[in-house]
Amino acid sequence: MRPEDQERILTELESRVSLAKVRATEAGGPKLSEILEDSHYFERKRLKEDRGSPTREADVKFWDQVQQDLRRASERDQKLLARKVIRHYAEEIAGNFDERVYQVVTRALPPGLGLLLNAASPLRLVKRLPQMPNLDESVVIQGEVEQLHRLHEKGTVILVPTHVSNLDSIIVGYALFRMGLPPFIYGAGLNLFTNPLISFFMHNLGAYTVDRKKTDPLYKDVLKEYATLTLEFGYDNIFFPGGTRSRSGAIEQHLKLGLMGTGLAAYINNLQRGAAQPKVFIVPATLSFELVLEAETLIDDFLKEVGKARYIIDDDEFTRPKRVFDFMSQLVSMDSKIHVTVSRGYDVFGNPVDDEGNSLDPCGRVVDTSRYVLDKGKPVHDAARDAEYTREVGERVGEAFLRDNVVTSTHVVAHAIMNLLRERNPRMSVLRILRTGGTEDDLELRSVYRETDRLLGELRALEQRGRIRLGTSLRASAEDVVSDALAHYALYHTRPAAQRRGDRVVPRDRNLVLYYQNRLEGYGLSSRPCLSPNHRALADLRG
Amino acid sequence: MNDATETLRMTLVGAGPLARAIGRILARGPTEVHLWARGQAARDAIRAEVPELNVHHELEAALEGAHVVLLAVPADQLTEAAERYGEHALGDHVVLTAARGVGPNFTLPHEMIRKKTCVRQIGILGGPIHARELATGRSINAVLATRFPRVLEMVRRLVSGAPVALHASKDIVGVQVAGAVSNVASLAAGMCDALELGDTARGVLLTHGLVDARKIGMALGATEATFGGLAGLGELIPRHVTSMDRHLDVGAAVAKGASLQEALQQAQGHVEGVVTAMEAMALADARGIELGLVRAVAQVLQGEASPREALEAVLHHSLDLDDPRGR
Repeated sequence: MRPEDQERILTELESRVSLAKVRATEAGGPKLSEILEDSHYFERKRLKEDRGSPTREADVKFWDQVQQDLRRASERDQKLLARKVIRHYAEEIAGNFDERVYQVVTRALPPGLGLLLNAASPLRLVKRLPQMPNLDESVVIQGEVEQLHRLHEKGTVILVPTHVSNLDSIIVGYALFRMGLPPFIYGAGLNLFTNPLISFFMHNLGAYTVDRKKTDPLYKDVLKEYATLTLEFGYDNIFFPGGTRSRSGAIEQHLKLGLMGTGLAAYINNLQRGAAQPKVFIVPATLSFELVLEAETLIDDFLKEVGKARYIIDDDEFTRPKRVFDFMSQLVSMDSKIHVTVSRGYDVFGNPVDDEGNSLDPCGRVVDTSRYVLDKGKPVHDAARDAEYTREVGERVGEAFLRDNVVTSTHVVAHAIMNLLRERNPRMSVLRILRTGGTEDDLELRSVYRETDRLLGELRALEQRGRIRLGTSLRASAEDVVSDALAHYALYHTRPAAQRRGDRVVPRDRNLVLYYQNRLEGYGLSSRPCLSPNHRALADLRG
Repeated sequence: MNDATETLRMTLVGAGPLARAIGRILARGPTEVHLWARGQAARDAIRAEVPELNVHHELEAALEGAHVVLLAVPADQLTEAAERYGEHALGDHVVLTAARGVGPNFTLPHEMIRKKTCVRQIGILGGPIHARELATGRSINAVLATRFPRVLEMVRRLVSGAPVALHASKDIVGVQVAGAVSNVASLAAGMCDALELGDTARGVLLTHGLVDARKIGMALGATEATFGGLAGLGELIPRHVTSMDRHLDVGAAVAKGASLQEALQQAQGHVEGVVTAMEAMALADARGIELGLVRAVAQVLQGEASPREALEAVLHHSLDLDDPRGR
């Protein structure tokens, strides 16, 4: 971000959020003193629990001072104090993208991604730099790339990718570079900034910090308004609408709409001030990996906590540089592909857009979208109405994720294995099968071939109807697909999901089998789903 | 544009009994009411019947400056009307429908509108609204289901001063399902009358209809409470006390031995419950929902079962009152 924009955004942010709070107070909402007391309460609570926070000492001091000032604050003082708290949050959130750093880093590509991964830690990896994997061949970028370029020219883009791994933001950043687009701004969990080196790169490549441990509603307001302002200033954004990495491995369908709603807020603000290019576009992107770096941790978290999944995992494979290195190297060695599929774009109301950025109705007619937000002839915000529009955008994005998901052998064979385990143990819940393996702990290879073949038939029919994408490995026979999956399973995880022993297939890590098979949830395949339709599933899984 | 003091402008698309009744009520008040009808004869008739209405032969002219649009056509004409209206639709239009039926694949009226237009701010009129009742000028109760507060606000302004008590709901799916399936229940009630099975049996059959509506609605994401409210129970009771329903006549004719085609010809109007029964069965089969009354009616209409046997089987069937999912 340009430094002059950064300062203007921070100033505007401080002014907007504080004004909104004052107006809400005047309209009978909570008083400023109550808002500040709440902020103090939530932050002290967080600081009490989060003893490892690097800014703990400074934060404690800041909030002690806020509490002290609040005690004797007049109404005017409260307004000033509110601005101070908002500024405090805003400065923490704001990134400091530096065009020069971006140029230096991206010029180093390829193997720039290796360099970035290297930055994920570790001096000891620096010495292995020459061996770093070159991912040019491994990252396949496909879909509506041309349209993404056009929309970037016609307005501001919010790229909304699926999220399974912390590598996603790096892969997306790399894909944007490969597509010849400038870097997009994105919100990254504060836990990713703890390493000074990666923090440096993330900040300078356009990341701003999102501290998911902060539960203060005022913080969330500041965060949303920051994203809104960057969009109004024309900075393309990346939001991960799943909110966090998919724990189950399934494609996200219940999306967090808060940040996505900032697209509509920015559009209305743009209309109100007569911006030359007011449009904001939502472009889904589906990332598909044959293997997922953090699969073991994620599925364990999904199953262990049953409905109370840890929202933030800060001790997974991504934090272990050697695991990251091994993972990437092995993926490259297997000629494994990471697919980044760009979907067609939508406007902030969920209408599809053409290459010129025109919104289209279901019959292909151009829609004047400004009419959606008019009241008394003027564009206005309306929380209930806008939430409804954003809910629709969320539905369209969820559909695009399913449509552009690239399925690979690891997903199909895991699905086949899970189907067979359930068929052989009809009275057992999925969770019990996962715990015990059921009555048989291995499967005939021939039956795995048969079930894989059956699934391939269904998936190919879905592909013909444009409801899913199949990876190139699935063009082969069922036997080859099974062989490819088993080779992948053996690559990287501590224990392979499944392994061949003679003419049998042994599920070695059944949780991983569930994780990879879940990628096919939501397609209505003829087998019973392992997850409930809304992917919460957990009650269903309990024995 | 509209603010609290500006005259509201409403456009009625269609010239059926509902459009005429609503046009007559609203044109007496401060609302500027315009109407578009396709045929010259229909336009002439409505001009003679309700001279206060602005009747247009061009849809675009009828929609000029409109705030609220009522697609006042039955479900089997709604897709066509929506497609035609979609040429001129605007994002700030509030669009209403009172259609009580479904399209292919159990497409609900609001989905038909969405598939052919850019509009989002849709309101569903449900509950015991009947054109003949409206035409008498008596006060009526209606449900307005919408997810947009502005729709409710606009419709409240429209009917202020008119003898209409408006009940708000956010359950647009539930209100539509309740309305559509109540027509199927009416077909059954007509059969019951013709077969002289008695008032108790009639009441039990209607209860089965309500249970079926609830099962379908829940499968589609409706709220259970809707079916016990004005859009569900509140629609069924008055309908079967007043007996002002073509569905009763069609049900009775079929029970007396007429073919479905003959019965529909005699009814001379839209009997949306027939299509609803067939589509509901297809949906139920696809989703594994067990429907008692709807299945019986569908089988009778298709000539697969005798009316008496089918209805008696329903009367002996458990109501599954405790399992709204019907599984």
